[in-house]
Amino acid sequence: MADTPEAIQKAKKLYAFIGLLLFFFTGITVAVATIESLDFGGHGFGAADAIIGLVIASFKACLVMIIFMHLNNEKPMVYFLFALGLVMAFFCVWLIGWSKSDPIQYGNSTKADGFYNPEKPASDVHSKTEAKY
Amino acid sequence: MEIPFVVNARKDTGLNNSKVGIWLFLASEVTLFGGLFSGYLFLRIYADYPWPERTLPILPGLLNTFILIGSSVTVVFAWAALKMRQWRKFQVYMSITLICALLFMVLKGFEYDAKFNHQAVRILDDGPVNDFAIIEGHTHYAKLDHGEIHHADKNDEGAFKQNRIAIKASELTFALTRPVHDSYVTDLIEQAGGEDKFKLAASYAVKDPESGDEVVILEEGAPLNTDNLDLAEEGFIGGKSHDAKIRTAFLKSDWDTVRESGNQDAGWKVVVTDEWKEIQRESAEKMKGHLIGAAGSVTYTIDPPLLFHFDPDAVVNHSDEQLRLRDDTTIRGVFDVEGSSLPMAVDGIDLRFTAQRAVEEGIDPAVMIAGSWILEDPDVKKVWDAHQEWLRAHIEYLDKKSKDKGREGEDAYVPTESERYRVNWDQMVSYQRAGYTDIYQKAKNGELKKPNWIEGFTGPNHNNVEFLKAFPEIVVPRDKIGFESSFTPKWNTYYAIYFTITGLHGLHVIGGMIVLGYYLFFGRKMYESNPEWLANRVEIGGLFWHFVDLVWIFLFPILYLM
Repeated sequence: MADTPEAIQKAKKLYAFIGLLLFFFTGITVAVATIESLDFGGHGFGAADAIIGLVIASFKACLVMIIFMHLNNEKPMVYFLFALGLVMAFFCVWLIGWSKSDPIQYGNSTKADGFYNPEKPASDVHSKTEAKY
Repeated sequence: MEIPFVVNARKDTGLNNSKVGIWLFLASEVTLFGGLFSGYLFLRIYADYPWPERTLPILPGLLNTFILIGSSVTVVFAWAALKMRQWRKFQVYMSITLICALLFMVLKGFEYDAKFNHQAVRILDDGPVNDFAIIEGHTHYAKLDHGEIHHADKNDEGAFKQNRIAIKASELTFALTRPVHDSYVTDLIEQAGGEDKFKLAASYAVKDPESGDEVVILEEGAPLNTDNLDLAEEGFIGGKSHDAKIRTAFLKSDWDTVRESGNQDAGWKVVVTDEWKEIQRESAEKMKGHLIGAAGSVTYTIDPPLLFHFDPDAVVNHSDEQLRLRDDTTIRGVFDVEGSSLPMAVDGIDLRFTAQRAVEEGIDPAVMIAGSWILEDPDVKKVWDAHQEWLRAHIEYLDKKSKDKGREGEDAYVPTESERYRVNWDQMVSYQRAGYTDIYQKAKNGELKKPNWIEGFTGPNHNNVEFLKAFPEIVVPRDKIGFESSFTPKWNTYYAIYFTITGLHGLHVIGGMIVLGYYLFFGRKMYESNPEWLANRVEIGGLFWHFVDLVWIFLFPILYLM
């Protein structure tokens, strides 16, 4: 992290550049989602569009964290706390995933494959809605 | 008292205490939003209804993204200015940050307002399967009247009654078993214009347990008010409580009798024996003289019958002759079919759910849609037919595109479910602009003109005469309404999670504004005594602000673009 007046003055240019970069990638995200010639994968929204949108968002988030939040030059304690937050967030994803392992509704598939497997449901709740029409 | 390590770093952590604190807080925030994002993810993956993808107008979200990114730059500039001891520059950058935050909230306010004033109805029809067509639009407030927009005041009685269930009531019965009538009673008296419009049909009396004489609690013809109902409820509860004691005493005695007659070791199964049933019969006869048996309801007559309007949320069910309120109050009379219907300016037709239901039931979606109730309306049918023309041209375009790119079979481009079965408000306007004629050819030539992003800033604008002309006015009978709601958390899980996450994020923006505003307006004294401490504080506040920006960076594509 910049501490001397000279280093801070220099860092300001970097902050402005990163700001512009964030504007640019926001524009790219919108363009990919709305301009048909930039549509990836099949026609309309699909997995490819989701991946591209989230990859760009993750890249932008990294820029904010590394440059604006000074994670490029921090003490180990900060990295530890930040990693702790991420681990807990992934824990939340895992925890909510368990709601789809309800053995009453979906059969006792949790031991076999972790989460509910839509390919072999005990009841036919979701496969109906995923039918192609 | 001096607070330690607010400027200098501790030896063990290598950080000042403020920084450890904010990072601990941010770690908990990552967890909080991580949980919400995963909630969104699973709701979407396992949604058993067509997900409203790309349903929010992009421009407000895009502007808000730019605004938050800009404020992230200015807040870090404000910190840099403090580090270089430039108070004036700090003030300028921090002021811009706060203005950005304010703008963000204003735009969010516009967006929320548009959602709160935009309604949707899921149609319930007696087709081969229930219809499940969804129409979106405005139920009232703005209507076209001879080419000019007529604005109804939201508080105007006429507009108010447009989404109400109406009945011409001659009699109503309150259930004393549910003593929570106050709000309904007040509303009924207000609508009737006085409590004396209601007359108690018959005296409400309860037997005195001591003397056995009837004690009249309410005289026949008594008016309706909450005090009178409270008296009746008190009498009913007193009688019920007395009867419960009598029944318990008899049951205890019966149990002793059955045990003393050679069933000492009998468990609960004794109750299925003939002996027990006989004892119970005898007890029932003996009890008759002891029980009060207070009536559980009071009935009022309304003569002459009066028209009442109720919020649809207050009505549990209704038939041609009566309706029942949530507190079990039954209102008898003649159901006002016309007064209970819902007029609507339709700005969205969504038949995806209908198609999905058709597939589930093994019916061709096209057949199911053709028989849909909403397409019986000629104006809606005109829009739908125009859309089919557009779809034909669109399919041809996609086929050509697939051929040009060598895509075949499953890889070929096909229309999305939304394109097939949903007509958006902007498409309606484009069909109207084209005069509903030659849509196929005009679509092929690229001559259909949708409103631009600014015209549709927060979605369908019902204050625009041209747009209103494109939105069919229909009247939905109450019995066709399966479910109706504004675009609020009640409508579906998408809006529930949308308002939860963006609302929580908005609260963070407000919290950040308060903290950063405090540094701006009250930081001068600290700047003069210990500028490095203030710089540290601004850095901590800035870290929180960057986190707020970080959350939005993910929220924008997920909620607005996917």
